[in-house]
Amino acid sequence: MNIYINGNAFELLNAAEPHSIDKVLAKILPLSQQQQSFALALNGDFVGQADYCNTHVSSNDSIDLLFPIVGG
Amino acid sequence: MSLSIYGQPIASRLLIGTALYSSPAVMKQAILASGSQVVTLSLKRQNPLAQSGEKIWRYIQASIKQNQGFLLPNTAGCKSAKEAITLARMSRELFQTDWIKLEVIGDDYNLQPDPIELLIASEQLLAEGFKVLPYCTDDLVVCQRLYELGCQVIMPWASPIGTGKGLMNPYNLASIRQRLPNATLILDAGIGKPSDACIAMEMGFDGVLLNSAIALADNPALMAKSFAAAIAAGESAYIAGTMPERQTAHASTPTLDRPFWHHPEHT
Repeated sequence: MNIYINGNAFELLNAAEPHSIDKVLAKILPLSQQQQSFALALNGDFVGQADYCNTHVSSNDSIDLLFPIVGG
Repeated sequence: MSLSIYGQPIASRLLIGTALYSSPAVMKQAILASGSQVVTLSLKRQNPLAQSGEKIWRYIQASIKQNQGFLLPNTAGCKSAKEAITLARMSRELFQTDWIKLEVIGDDYNLQPDPIELLIASEQLLAEGFKVLPYCTDDLVVCQRLYELGCQVIMPWASPIGTGKGLMNPYNLASIRQRLPNATLILDAGIGKPSDACIAMEMGFDGVLLNSAIALADNPALMAKSFAAAIAAGESAYIAGTMPERQTAHASTPTLDRPFWHHPEHT
């Protein structure tokens, strides 16, 4: 199945398996990127870090990873 | 007396943004020179490979640590209450603060806040325990509604973001100060010169939040110091009490025992 991370499509194999957010991030992002500071939204709704393991993604879901940036 | 943000005393009445600087080092110099203890920042999508967000984040953390400061994340770029609420929740987790500078933009041309979406988002976030600092226009009624919802801090604009036009509507701003005497009022956006900040403080505003006027100066650190001095001058002038404006001239030199050249025989 396909999911989108920051607008980029990624294919997850074994579509029949449930894919929790923590497993998706572990599969798609290298370790160095997983260790960065970021917050996450799934389909426009915030998901806290504590819920990554029990929140599952479905086909065509969209994950936004947001990182600190300068601002006024 | 210090600035109070939801009961948190803040020594400096200057709140400073972190955008638009020519380099992170220049940003850090300006923050330190300003003496500001409240620094704004944001969250954005980025290519995780770039890792630039992590570097900036460390720089900002180092800057506020030296000033014993506080982070004030914003919801810049949001155009609906839903987007702003989601971004506020994400900011709270990442930055470990329940302070949020709430921005909901209603017009792309002048980046004017959307008052309706702002009220909806404020109500929800206050209910979730956020300490909401809403960025709004200089509309008295919107400010009143925000205050009635429970926003202890309200941040009307001086003029549109980044214009440097200063206080477009001093009458409106003075009315907000007069009608909301117990709200913490911080003038946010559109400030161009230290004199603009001084005028706001002379009106009785509690603080000033700005970014472009410092970041785009030829010497940001020096401009930061200038703003800090102007804000201190305006604050003390407000406490001292300015004289009432008059329509006609009044001699300041005593008129008793005036010398011969004012005698009727010589006129």
